[in-house]
Amino acid sequence: MQRWSQILLAALFVLSFGFAQPPAPAAPLLASASAAASEAKPSSKALDVRLPLANKSVRFAVIGDSGTGGQEQFQVADQMERYRQRVHFDFVIMLGDNIYGGHRPSDYRHKFEEPYHALLDAGVNFYASLGNHDDPNGERLYKPFNMGGRRYYSFKKGDIEFFALDSNYMDPTQLNWIGQSLQQSRAKWKISFFHHPLYSNGRMHGPDLDLRSQLTPLFRQYGVNVVFSGHEHVYERLKPEDSVAYFILGASGKLETHDFRPSDQMEKGFDTDRVFMIVEVTADHLYFQTISAHGQTIDAGDMARQEQPAAAAKNQK
Amino acid sequence: MRALKIPVLLLQLMLLVTASPASSSSQTNTGNEKDTQLIKDFQDLVNKYLEFRKNEAGSSPRPTNSPDKIADTQQQLAAKLQDKRQDANQGDIFQPEIAAYFRRQIAATLATKHGKKIRASLKHAEPVHGMALHVNQVYPQGVPLQSTPPTLLLNLPPLPKELEYRIVGHNLVLYDSVPDVVVDFIPEAIPPETN
Repeated sequence: MQRWSQILLAALFVLSFGFAQPPAPAAPLLASASAAASEAKPSSKALDVRLPLANKSVRFAVIGDSGTGGQEQFQVADQMERYRQRVHFDFVIMLGDNIYGGHRPSDYRHKFEEPYHALLDAGVNFYASLGNHDDPNGERLYKPFNMGGRRYYSFKKGDIEFFALDSNYMDPTQLNWIGQSLQQSRAKWKISFFHHPLYSNGRMHGPDLDLRSQLTPLFRQYGVNVVFSGHEHVYERLKPEDSVAYFILGASGKLETHDFRPSDQMEKGFDTDRVFMIVEVTADHLYFQTISAHGQTIDAGDMARQEQPAAAAKNQK
Repeated sequence: MRALKIPVLLLQLMLLVTASPASSSSQTNTGNEKDTQLIKDFQDLVNKYLEFRKNEAGSSPRPTNSPDKIADTQQQLAAKLQDKRQDANQGDIFQPEIAAYFRRQIAATLATKHGKKIRASLKHAEPVHGMALHVNQVYPQGVPLQSTPPTLLLNLPPLPKELEYRIVGHNLVLYDSVPDVVVDFIPEAIPPETN
């Protein structure tokens, strides 16, 4: 037995010298680590994609409360890039608190440009709304946030019109603007996004009742289909209210674990990992998939568009 | 096409009438000429300030890709304004009678059926406590902005674009968003909650 193992060891020794490839040139440690990490990642084919990836659909990602500059934000950003390679979303909506803490030039770099550099390099556009930790003056002027110097604005993508609001300061001028813009919009899908949630089962903040009393009549009257908010550092999908679907996604950087005080309004809640969402919209359906920083699909579903929007989300999970 | 335009315009007009702060203010102040005059005085002072800031310090810069440029421009605007308004004091715009009007207006709004919702929104908005306020100070970096409840804003005199009412703790701040500077404030403008 001992003799056989000696022979085996000798054979391995010969093989290792005889057939080994020439050593690779030395690479910087960071580059090697990065290459090893990317090799360790599953290929994009292994991704769990729940979107139909239909022809001519509009695809985008959603992040909220992202701008910490922490390791977890980078982790979410890496997952987003993996999914982008497969799903080919070409823009991201940001639900506020895009940059926490200071707003020095280095903060813009470390809390936005560096985490999302792969997405930015691939030509993905970001559309920001303002949270209470943002600098409204600086960020609205920052071109990569696509706010065009405004605190609130709208933009169109295919059959969708997006309405980005500033929920920090919902003054009469902004209320008039959103009412008129929604009324005049002929888009098949109307999606609004802003920071403070109108409905929430989170314990940390809860819903903004005064904001709700001003916005929900307009959303109902002018047929908003979906509303995305952040602020609460969790993921929550609520039962539609007056045919409007409400999502909270405030955990793409920050996280408040075990934050829920669930009620009947809650359709799905998740508060144990950071998340982002990918969305695909066809002429008559909206499909969503919420993914954790560790690549786990934590919610997915779709909703049909109706003339009087009845966003009956069907949970697939 | 013309037939479609008329109802749209009518609806727009209705929206403006129902949502404009002037209408809610005027309802509250019907027959109160003194309050109307105070609002006018306040708006004159605000417009005078804005004209001064634009002439002496500058206007809002254009969007840019460079965070350095944003920071530099903002710092230069604030520094120029602080230099030119060295003698500005708390109460220059919120003069005693105007401040008293605002206190009455805020208290009256909080006493309506909307008061509970407004209070809830104030609590919901990560209230900023313990921040010492000074006229001309740049809003400190890293301190979150407390959102201002929309129903409260509907009941305060409208402001020109670029100027905002901000709540800091229980204080009402007149904030210039372009140089990021506190223009004036009313201490303890939000009355304490009584059971």
